[in-house]
Amino acid sequence: MQNIQALLLEPVGCLAEFPSGPFHEIAVRLFGRKGKASPSASRTYWHLLNLMQTAPKFDAEQKCVAEALEADAVAGANLYEDVRPVLRELQSMGVQLWIATSLSRAAAMCFVERNSLGEFFAGISTRDDAGGVKSAPLLHALSDGSLEKPHSPESTMFLTDTFEGIKVARAARVHPILMMNDPDEAQRLATHNPAGGVVSLHEIPDFIRLVAAQNQRG
Amino acid sequence: MKKVSIYRPTTVDEAMQILSEHGTSASVYAGGTDLLVRLKNRLEQAPSYLVDIKKIDHLRYIKEDAQGGVEIGAATKIAELADSKLLQEKYPMLVEAVNKISSPELRNASTLGGDLLQEVWCQYLRGGYSCWRNGGYICYGAIGDNSYYHSAMGGRLCYAVYPGDAATALIPFDARAKLATPQGEKELSIEHLVPGDMMVDGKIQSHVVRFNEILTSVVIPPPKPGLRASFEKLRPRGVWDFAMASLAISLQLRDKTIDDARVVFGGISGKPYRETVVESFLKGKTLSDELGEQAVAVALANAAPLKYNATKIDMAKGLLASGLARLNA
Repeated sequence: MQNIQALLLEPVGCLAEFPSGPFHEIAVRLFGRKGKASPSASRTYWHLLNLMQTAPKFDAEQKCVAEALEADAVAGANLYEDVRPVLRELQSMGVQLWIATSLSRAAAMCFVERNSLGEFFAGISTRDDAGGVKSAPLLHALSDGSLEKPHSPESTMFLTDTFEGIKVARAARVHPILMMNDPDEAQRLATHNPAGGVVSLHEIPDFIRLVAAQNQRG
Repeated sequence: MKKVSIYRPTTVDEAMQILSEHGTSASVYAGGTDLLVRLKNRLEQAPSYLVDIKKIDHLRYIKEDAQGGVEIGAATKIAELADSKLLQEKYPMLVEAVNKISSPELRNASTLGGDLLQEVWCQYLRGGYSCWRNGGYICYGAIGDNSYYHSAMGGRLCYAVYPGDAATALIPFDARAKLATPQGEKELSIEHLVPGDMMVDGKIQSHVVRFNEILTSVVIPPPKPGLRASFEKLRPRGVWDFAMASLAISLQLRDKTIDDARVVFGGISGKPYRETVVESFLKGKTLSDELGEQAVAVALANAAPLKYNATKIDMAKGLLASGLARLNA
């Protein structure tokens, strides 16, 4: 693995525990899905993104509904307690931090402001900026003119806790790093060969240091 | 088995020179009970060059020093520690502990240095999984079967427990390790020798010894008057196995009053886990039947068990109660 210079973060599942209800509600109201919401917000969210990816673009009314429900999701999200110290440490290590999310721009901005995370991120790429979901925000973040110092995908990590996230990272050619929040789910996902896995966000600085030390050793 | 080249230096300086030349692809070889298994298992991290230190004089001895303490050469066999009258007389708890290391056959081969610096025995690493210690970037123990050989006290990338018993038993005596380094001799406490998952020379390992350094001896200070110590170990199989939980405890007693204490748990963390909260709690207390229960109440408050190993914490607390009861008997 090359030395890591940039980290792309999807708030849902990696920075905060989101409620799954609002994402499920979007799927019900805009895509006619039935059934109960999964207890996992990440799974519900990525399932919704699959639906969004294959459907035509939202009209103004649908956009309004989606954004209102995403605002509910952001309001109900609990930031993981290690997020702020870890982001500060990564920033001090010179790792460029970037939010790359399939949330709307309004929801992503609201999440950052609500949790006072603005100082840590060099930028935010959302589905509105990228004109698409899943890998589109990652590719947007990596594209020229987005990252302050454009980095190669090989020196960029994307944290995810779903199989869809691993696939999206692969599509963008960045390293998919598994957030092993739930051991059973992580065991299943580990069979899909992520580039790495961490038990909690606070391991990311050590991960990046280890890669650098290995490369220095040669 | 991976092809290897073996060097047989006759001095520590010569050994260090060879280690320096080959960098992290070389490793010190003494008893081989850990190293050869890693080679047989074709682990990515297994070395290509072995530096056999058995021909080096002055690495295999047990002797009393001028202060009344004992110095033990790093290449001394575990069986020789177990049979040592000098150690039995001065540090019976250490002898008790080394007698519980693996099996008689393995104790005849393995050395003190090897026991202190051994690689973890996580079944995923030893099974060749591409984990943090074997060329990969994930800990399978954290998400898989972690009931036996994984930490219940958190981790740092790798969640395997430090497996050695000798370090756990040496820390209560404030023992120190001597290292030969290219910059000269270095001495550090056993606690600092095996501080848990460390990034050394671009690798994750349990100890701080660099690729071109050699552990040469362990020095145990003279036993203090009034010192009582106990070692207990719980393992999946009674005959021989690594600790699911172990406890080495020493109390400095004045009559029944505890002037000082050392409480070190093995088998539950990525390092010999010194429980300073319990040590502070015990200081100034009177050794009594009730003390065990009180100490257990304050012990291991920051435990962070994985999915299948919360029972290790119960075992460790049980050992604390029984260890204190033993010392009160």
